[in-house]
Amino acid sequence: MNEEILTPEQVVERFAGKFGAGIHGTRIGERREGKKKNPNFDIWIDLERDLLKPAIRALIELHYPHLSVISGSDMGDSIRLLYHFTIYYGRVKGEYTVTFAVLLPKSDLSIPTISDLIPGAVFSEREKQEFLGVKVIGIPDSRRLFLPEDFPEGIYPWRKDDTGVPEGMVNNLWASKRPVDRPAPPLVEAPACEPDAGDKQAVQSGKEPGKEGGRS
Amino acid sequence: MSDESKKAPYTMNIGPIHPALKEPVMFTFVMEGEMVRDVDFAPGQAHRGIEWMGMRRNPVQIVHLTDRICGICGVSHTLAFSRAVEQIAGIEVPERADYIRSIIAEFERIQSHLLWAGVAAHELGFDSLLHLTWRVREQSMDVIENLTGNRVNYGIVQVGGVRRDIVPEQHRVIEDCISTYGGLLGKLLNLFLDDRTVSMRCRDSGVLSRQEALELCTVGPTARASGVNVDLRQDYPYAAYGDLDVKAVLPDQHLGETHGDVYDRIVVRLLEVGQSCQIIQQCLSEMPAGPVTAEEKVAKLLAICKKATGEAIGRVEAPRGECFHYVRMEGQEAPHTWKVKASTYSNLMSWIPMLKGEQIADIPIIVASIDPCLSCTDRVAVVRDRSRSILTKEDLHRLSVEKTRRLQR
Amino acid sequence: MKLNASFNHSLWVYHFNSGSCNGCEIEIVATLTPRYDPERFGIKLVGSPRHADVMLVTGPVVHKMKDRLLRVYAQIPDPKVVMCIGSCGISGGVFYDSYNLEGPVDEVIPVDVFVPGCPPRPEAIIHGVVKALQKLERIQGGES
Repeated sequence: MNEEILTPEQVVERFAGKFGAGIHGTRIGERREGKKKNPNFDIWIDLERDLLKPAIRALIELHYPHLSVISGSDMGDSIRLLYHFTIYYGRVKGEYTVTFAVLLPKSDLSIPTISDLIPGAVFSEREKQEFLGVKVIGIPDSRRLFLPEDFPEGIYPWRKDDTGVPEGMVNNLWASKRPVDRPAPPLVEAPACEPDAGDKQAVQSGKEPGKEGGRS
Repeated sequence: MSDESKKAPYTMNIGPIHPALKEPVMFTFVMEGEMVRDVDFAPGQAHRGIEWMGMRRNPVQIVHLTDRICGICGVSHTLAFSRAVEQIAGIEVPERADYIRSIIAEFERIQSHLLWAGVAAHELGFDSLLHLTWRVREQSMDVIENLTGNRVNYGIVQVGGVRRDIVPEQHRVIEDCISTYGGLLGKLLNLFLDDRTVSMRCRDSGVLSRQEALELCTVGPTARASGVNVDLRQDYPYAAYGDLDVKAVLPDQHLGETHGDVYDRIVVRLLEVGQSCQIIQQCLSEMPAGPVTAEEKVAKLLAICKKATGEAIGRVEAPRGECFHYVRMEGQEAPHTWKVKASTYSNLMSWIPMLKGEQIADIPIIVASIDPCLSCTDRVAVVRDRSRSILTKEDLHRLSVEKTRRLQR
Repeated sequence: MKLNASFNHSLWVYHFNSGSCNGCEIEIVATLTPRYDPERFGIKLVGSPRHADVMLVTGPVVHKMKDRLLRVYAQIPDPKVVMCIGSCGISGGVFYDSYNLEGPVDEVIPVDVFVPGCPPRPEAIIHGVVKALQKLERIQGGES
């Protein structure tokens, strides 16, 4: 399966060589921590939608990848889906994360499933269906994952446009039973640590010494 | 009842309150007699909308929210998120903070594995072992409280470093705890692994093969027990692990062979407790001096984060596996996109091959063996053919305990 | 502390998790370990609401769990005391604005004792249960 271990630049070259025009951009990120400052590499590749499955097959040839998760961002008039893989795990200090970014225009939000190549992707794809409104073609199980069944259709919580969560659905727990006749904090400058025995005004939360919290 | 209805498969719903987990997952088992034919489950009972809430707050506030994504592995989420934000904003974390972060993460791992060992013992019916393990765990909780100020939900990691330092007076407390655990480890291994009933119940039950573990993208001790060599502290080291040379704990190091069953998972987790003690010892002795945070004033930190643009990934080895955060910031106060992947998210799908073909009395221990962290306890609803009956947590647990007693005779 | 004879010196506790992060769960189970040992007071955790006297609720109520919480509350026989453990149930805690949460616990069922903290220490939980006992005593004393 793995003939030789490639450096991050060689991985990028291999993909660029195979898919040429379909790749819009690549980036290699590096992070060094600790005293010895060993580098950790992240490879980011922007792809066309149709090249996603061939690219995953090319990745499987290198080393069977581990799919961390699929994430998605709402970029205004398109949705950017990111497939986060890692390869070369098991090799001490030598794992790379490889991320394929696919842009889907909002007029055609569909993408083929990758669960025939990587069965563990079904969960992630179901989640994208309910949170972003992406249609995954060929998914073996398309029920809702996290949202309750009576959550209204057509509302996708992570979208920033008008299909996002409307203000009416947001429940402000902090406002429950909050008294409306008291001033909101912070109050006008009260002295920090001067025990004013006779003066008990402006302590709005009722912190009376000697009583322990709840009233029974 | 006629013979056909006895032989026909019937469906059993195990509703949100569940015996083994502290969290609600709705299971549906298709049973044939006492054997499980097929499994289906629906998570989502504890969905609080955390990612959506996070996209309305600034990073300094989100750090406190991430602590409470999960009570048992809270620091891992905070660490992963902070690392992602630091990479975007270009904040350089001082080395001393890296070491302190590693020490806190390892203590969290110790207390999580001891907690799990107690829960596993409880599911098998050894309640006294539950009390013993949790009593032993109390010492690590004391150390954590000494270092961070709280037993659970330590608010110690902040973007750019940590909020408190470890002073030399605290070194003695830490070293006491580690030496106690080092001495106890042999006894714990003996209690769990050399007991005949435990090996009869756990050997070859809940088997996950290496190929399945790879294809279903499992992480953490669940994957390592099936022979997959994956550990973020070894492959993609973060914080101080790059200096320390951590090796993944695989069951064939201790036992010589890998079965991928519940027994192997117990072995991996108990050995990792010993490994964590060694790591803490090393960190303490090699900790460099210096500041503990890159930016002390929170207002300036917020200003730096507000101007940051870009995207980054933060990955951390939580006690249950890989914890993954993806953050994208576009120069606003709140992140544009935030994706959280807890470690149990990847491990959930492995329940299906593990539970097929197993007996109903083994369900609690197999379900608990991947150490699920979904958040909520549930009850069990059993549907047999047309009639519906509710099995409580006690009933399923009782079935498991009865099987242990039968084996002990 | 005098208990009504009908309790036979024991108090059985049922725990319901309505979507919390688990921190309070860990502290509740830690309360039952030998270090704090509430069994010397006769306090025991049971698995069925029909056997319980006290119900501990943790977590902000997630939408899916609201209906179940109401049903479980109805199944606990009187006299009962409901305790809300942790800041999530009192005012939302860190989850103060969300689309999937049904509000603090006392919007769903009536609560008698609140134990604040995130999570509250085991000592605080025991203190809360003792207060619940005193309240039960008063209820019993008022009736008998």
